[in-house]
Amino acid sequence: MTRMNHPFIEALGKIYPADRLLTRDVELLPYESDALTAFQSKPGAVALPVNEAEIIDAVRLCHRMKVPFVARGSGTSLSGGSLPIADGLMIGLNRLNRIKKIDPEQRIAVVEPGVINLHISEAARQYGLYYAPDPSSQSVCTIGGNIAFNSGGAHCLKYGMTSNHVLGMKVVLGDGTVTRFGSESIEGVGIGPDLVGLFVGSEGLFGIALEITLRLMPTPQLYRTVMAAYDNLGRAGDAVSMVVASGLLPGAMEIMDRLAIKAAEASVGAGYPLHAEALLIVELEGEAPQVEAEFAQLRAVIEESGAFEIREANSEDERARIWKGRKSAFSAVGRLSPDYIVQDGVVPRSRLGEALVKIDELKAEYQLDVANVFHAGDGNLHPLILYNGREAGALEKAEALAGEILAMCVDLGGSITGEHGVGMEKREYLPTMFSPVEMEIMRDLRRAIDPEEIANRGKMFPSGEAPALQMRGMHPLERQGVISRE
Amino acid sequence: MSFRANDETVLNSVAELQAFVKGHERIHVVGRRSKTALHQVGADVVLADLSDMRGITEYQPQEYTLTVLAGARVSEIQTALRAEGQYLPFDPLFANRASIGGAVACNLSGSRRHRYGGIRDFILGAAVVDGLGRAFRVGGKVVKNAAGFDLSKFLVGSLGKYAIMTELTFKVFPDAPAFQGLRLRYDSLDEALNAVFRCNRSPQELDLLDFAPSDQGWSLLAGLAGFQDTLPQRAKQFVAMMREETALLDAMEVEDDGTLRDPLAGLTGNFLVKVVISPRQIPRFDALVRDMQRRYSAGGNVAWLATEDIGALKKILEAQQLPGIVLRGMVACPLIGKPLENALAARVKRVLDPQDKLV
Repeated sequence: MTRMNHPFIEALGKIYPADRLLTRDVELLPYESDALTAFQSKPGAVALPVNEAEIIDAVRLCHRMKVPFVARGSGTSLSGGSLPIADGLMIGLNRLNRIKKIDPEQRIAVVEPGVINLHISEAARQYGLYYAPDPSSQSVCTIGGNIAFNSGGAHCLKYGMTSNHVLGMKVVLGDGTVTRFGSESIEGVGIGPDLVGLFVGSEGLFGIALEITLRLMPTPQLYRTVMAAYDNLGRAGDAVSMVVASGLLPGAMEIMDRLAIKAAEASVGAGYPLHAEALLIVELEGEAPQVEAEFAQLRAVIEESGAFEIREANSEDERARIWKGRKSAFSAVGRLSPDYIVQDGVVPRSRLGEALVKIDELKAEYQLDVANVFHAGDGNLHPLILYNGREAGALEKAEALAGEILAMCVDLGGSITGEHGVGMEKREYLPTMFSPVEMEIMRDLRRAIDPEEIANRGKMFPSGEAPALQMRGMHPLERQGVISRE
Repeated sequence: MSFRANDETVLNSVAELQAFVKGHERIHVVGRRSKTALHQVGADVVLADLSDMRGITEYQPQEYTLTVLAGARVSEIQTALRAEGQYLPFDPLFANRASIGGAVACNLSGSRRHRYGGIRDFILGAAVVDGLGRAFRVGGKVVKNAAGFDLSKFLVGSLGKYAIMTELTFKVFPDAPAFQGLRLRYDSLDEALNAVFRCNRSPQELDLLDFAPSDQGWSLLAGLAGFQDTLPQRAKQFVAMMREETALLDAMEVEDDGTLRDPLAGLTGNFLVKVVISPRQIPRFDALVRDMQRRYSAGGNVAWLATEDIGALKKILEAQQLPGIVLRGMVACPLIGKPLENALAARVKRVLDPQDKLV
């Protein structure tokens, strides 16, 4: 597409006023990459719709003129999922940011796709409710993006991922068809195939969510949080198994290794024991009497687990301090190195120990530093591979190490991605998880739903269209600690 | 492979099922036939019976995951889980008769789904054979996975019309050691519904929350699960809250004799129907079905009805634009009321079963 006088741009100009149709290089620059800054690509134009009709019209135009498009919220994708298609259309959804309805008595919210994740919980707080999925970028990421990539967070074992909190949707498919499925019932679709479940996590390849009905959860009456320090990473992993074996179902179980602890401590001074090789954070939540009883059980398990230091949060401030260190870990580690890659592979929880030993071996083999911060409750690893992109071949080496970690996750019976999605970054690894038949079926599904393959073209499936990897350093928001790669 | 009837084949393996699909034109899957209304098919249709494909293939209690063959009886799975202090939080219905594959295909969760969610919230993956006879896997086997299109959730409620499930993987949870049932009495539906709304605005974590008409007004059935020591205090707090803020007539603790947790208990009418509804739709709907046996489950998000007059219920559901599925009774088509979405579903059908073999 040549810019400006192109017939496509002219047609778009009939849908969008000039101030919401960006075509000049300087205007397009901010959209060149998302939070996976290793990839960049310049869109042909950026359209900024303010209502559903403008999105639908743009998609129909794209379908008619066979122009690929990418829907983008805040661009926080860690897998390059919202990377523009070179000379395609980017549809920026941030202006569709209305919370249309919160019905506390039915525990639901109806929102537009550009609503920021955290804003829903903030709006629901006055009713004693919240929106459970909490990706670490929740203060900036949008629900539309969360839906496309089935975002997770630290509480997925107990509460599930984004998909489990979407009850109904109105969507426009890649060929411009508008359809609705699901309901305001907690059953969602309830009768007939669960189309919500299929659409969520489709990485924007099926189309764009226009309106979403979400389930809200009651804010827990009480949180009890404990932090335990270990002189050995494997022991922290064993402690997680002990907690699970005792029959407890914590809301969150997180582990950080020595490098991550040191970085977090240097960054925010959370009071973590600096000589620890591993730190385990376990949090219980729910009705007060039940949580207190569970906490007594948890304390006994942790005391048995070989921790050399155990700290309980006895106030909201203390809890916030424990979490502050954990939540800052990614950007803190990032500051230790000019560049880093983070993966989010999953292994069965009982094989966490094996996975960590293997990562240690790979670290030695590749002579690269790797910090480990992970959601231990659901086996979701987040190894941060540190490298200096200015050194020739360093990025490729880090990429190769990341690839070996993903292969290990698949070998151990897990997944190449727990919450970031495949996007650009892991396209080549998707066939390691799925057989040729399964890949073919997914491709056929994509074509059946979007015959021109224009919706987020080039993502998820292996393809030769990938822009070259480049070293770009930290995302500006990441540098500020607003978002992090987990 | 053995034959039970002319038009019915018991299949024992994925390979047999693949060959069967490839060799027939019109196929309907049956498990243990606990939902009789779902198997009224034409004479040209052959039945693929999966009830012999049973057993647990992988269960690691520490992983909170379970993989079973689709023909496994729900109660057998529950027994194995109970031995490890765990359970299926979606609380599948017809446990003593249904196969797990049937529970998923029909999307039938019980009252205890109120606490953590329904089948869609606990299915992680599946092995299937589609209408072209291709055997493949969808989803994964770990509790967190964002790779590829999630066809495993799509299968929930799909009635075997897109692909035939042969194996299923679920997330499972530790079960609470103790349970306390409560029956609260209200004068009217409006008051019972207000009590549900009050519950929804509280941090109280109820295991179940159903309501149904009773001899004297309406009964609200609530369940608390947790450590035995905590239950009296929690029950007391719950009842105090309800006394203070709702028009509660009386409240009593009830024994858990099975009927409290069974939303179908007492629904004896010839036709049994599930309706997907939201609590705010109930007053208008209930006014039309007063002569039918009914119970509203999961905080008023599912209606279970039993009636002798399925034609009347069908008309009501059509007028109210509510989707329903008939589970018991002779009907030409079990799907009644609001038509299902077909723009997206039809495209999946085109990929998985282009010859429309699976009915």
